[in-house]
Amino acid sequence: MNLNPDQIKAAIRAKVIELAKALDMDASGVTDDDILPATGLLDSGAILELVVWFEASYDFRIKQEDMNIDNLGSINAMTNFLLSSKPA
Amino acid sequence: MPTFQTVPCVNINDEFVDVVSIDVKQGEFVNSGDVVATVETDKSMIDVVAEQDGYVLRVDCEPGQKIRVGAVMFWLGATRDEAIPEETKDTSSTVSAVRQPTAKARAMLKELDIDPARIPASGERLSVADIEAWLRKGGKPGKAAASTQTAIRREDAPTVAGDLQELSPEAAGMLHTVAWHRDFAASAYLEVEYDPKPWEERAAAYATEHKLMLSPLLPLMAFRLAELGRERPLINSTIVNGQRFQYTPVNIGFTVQAGAMLYLTVVRDTQDMNAAQFISALGEVQRHAMAHKLPPQEATGATLSFSSMARWNVSRHTPILPPQTSLIIAHAAPKNSDKAVLGATYDHRVLTGFDVAQVLLALSRPA
Repeated sequence: MNLNPDQIKAAIRAKVIELAKALDMDASGVTDDDILPATGLLDSGAILELVVWFEASYDFRIKQEDMNIDNLGSINAMTNFLLSSKPA
Repeated sequence: MPTFQTVPCVNINDEFVDVVSIDVKQGEFVNSGDVVATVETDKSMIDVVAEQDGYVLRVDCEPGQKIRVGAVMFWLGATRDEAIPEETKDTSSTVSAVRQPTAKARAMLKELDIDPARIPASGERLSVADIEAWLRKGGKPGKAAASTQTAIRREDAPTVAGDLQELSPEAAGMLHTVAWHRDFAASAYLEVEYDPKPWEERAAAYATEHKLMLSPLLPLMAFRLAELGRERPLINSTIVNGQRFQYTPVNIGFTVQAGAMLYLTVVRDTQDMNAAQFISALGEVQRHAMAHKLPPQEATGATLSFSSMARWNVSRHTPILPPQTSLIIAHAAPKNSDKAVLGATYDHRVLTGFDVAQVLLALSRPA
C-alpha cells in the first residue's frame, strides 16, 4: 500500500470530485484545506461514502468517535489522520 | 443432568425456521453466550447462542433443514459422556426429507398456507414449478388460504419473450415488505408542511458544538421520533391476530441508500439512549450499510421508522410500511422552497389520522 502523502491527497481529491459529480456538483476546484462539509459539494450521504471508501482503500478502521471535523474535515486532515493511524 | 436447547422463535408468525449453519460439533465445549447456530425465516436471520455452559452431547438438526420452533436443536451436558434420555428425538418437529424451497416457492407456500412436506421436489430445491404441478394434480392449499380467500395473486407470464430470474435477498425482502403492506396493514397516508428553519438551526448548532462531519439533521429528527415512540406507545405497536402487540423496545428503522441498494437499517433499544448515543449508533449502522456489511440485528426488528428523500430533492414520497409496524415517517425538503414536508404512512388498524397528525406536528419542530 502506498502511503505517500501527495498520492493519498490526490486519491481523496479524485474521490471527492467523483462523489460531487454524482450530485451534479463540480468539485474540481477543491483545495486540500477546504472544510469538506462546509463546501456544500458533498451531502451527508456522499461524505459517508467518502469515509467508507477511505477505510476500505487504506485498510484501516475509523472509530465512530473519531468521525469529526478535526480528523476528517479536509483532504489534509484526512491524510494526516491516516498517516497517524497507520504504523510506519 | 443433560439439558436441551430448542429452536427459538424468530418471527411470531413463523412456525418453522431454516437452519443456516451449525457452528458446534458433538463433544465440543461451549460457553453461555457462544453462537452455536444460525437460523432464518424469509423475514430475518438470527444467531442462536448457548443458554448455558456445557459439552455438546448431540446435535439434532443440520444445515439446510427446516425445523419447527420449539423443537430440540441440541443437548448439553456437564461432561462429554452424559447419557441423553431415551425417546427424546422429536421426529414430528422437523421436515428433514423436505427440500429447501426457493425464495419464490417459500413465498407461494406461505401465501397458500401449504406445508412444504406435502410436496415432492423435482430437483435439489422445492420450486414454484413443483408446487404448481402438485396443485394441478389436485393438491389442496391449507385452511387459511381456503377460508380467507387470500390466495396468491397468480400472474400470467408476459407474452413478450423473457426469463424469470431469482431475486436478490434484498429485493426479496422488499417484495415481502410490500406484500405485507398490501395484505395486512390498512395503510393510509397524510402529511404536513412545516418551516424547516428551526430544525436546521438546531442541527447546525449541534454539528458545530460536536464538530460533526455529517449533518445531524435527520438523525436528530429520527431521535425525536424515538422519543415520541416512548411518549406515545401506540405508534410503537402493531396488530397480531386481532390484538394489539405493544413493542417493549423502540427500535428505529432508518432508510439508507447505498449505491443501488436501499436498506432499512435499524438502531435497536433507542429508549436507553440520549441524542449523542443515538447519533453515534446510527452513524455506525449507516457505515455498515454503505459498506454492504449490515449484520442481521442492524437490518431487522424495526418498530418505528424514518425515511428521507431530501437528498434526491423530491417533494413527497409515500413509503411502504415495514412489516409489523404502524408508522413510517417520510421526510422531504425540496430545494428552493421555504417549506419542508413530513408525511407518514400508517396502519389504520392501530392509528387514526388524528394520532398521526399529532406526531407529525410534534416532529416538525425540535423539542
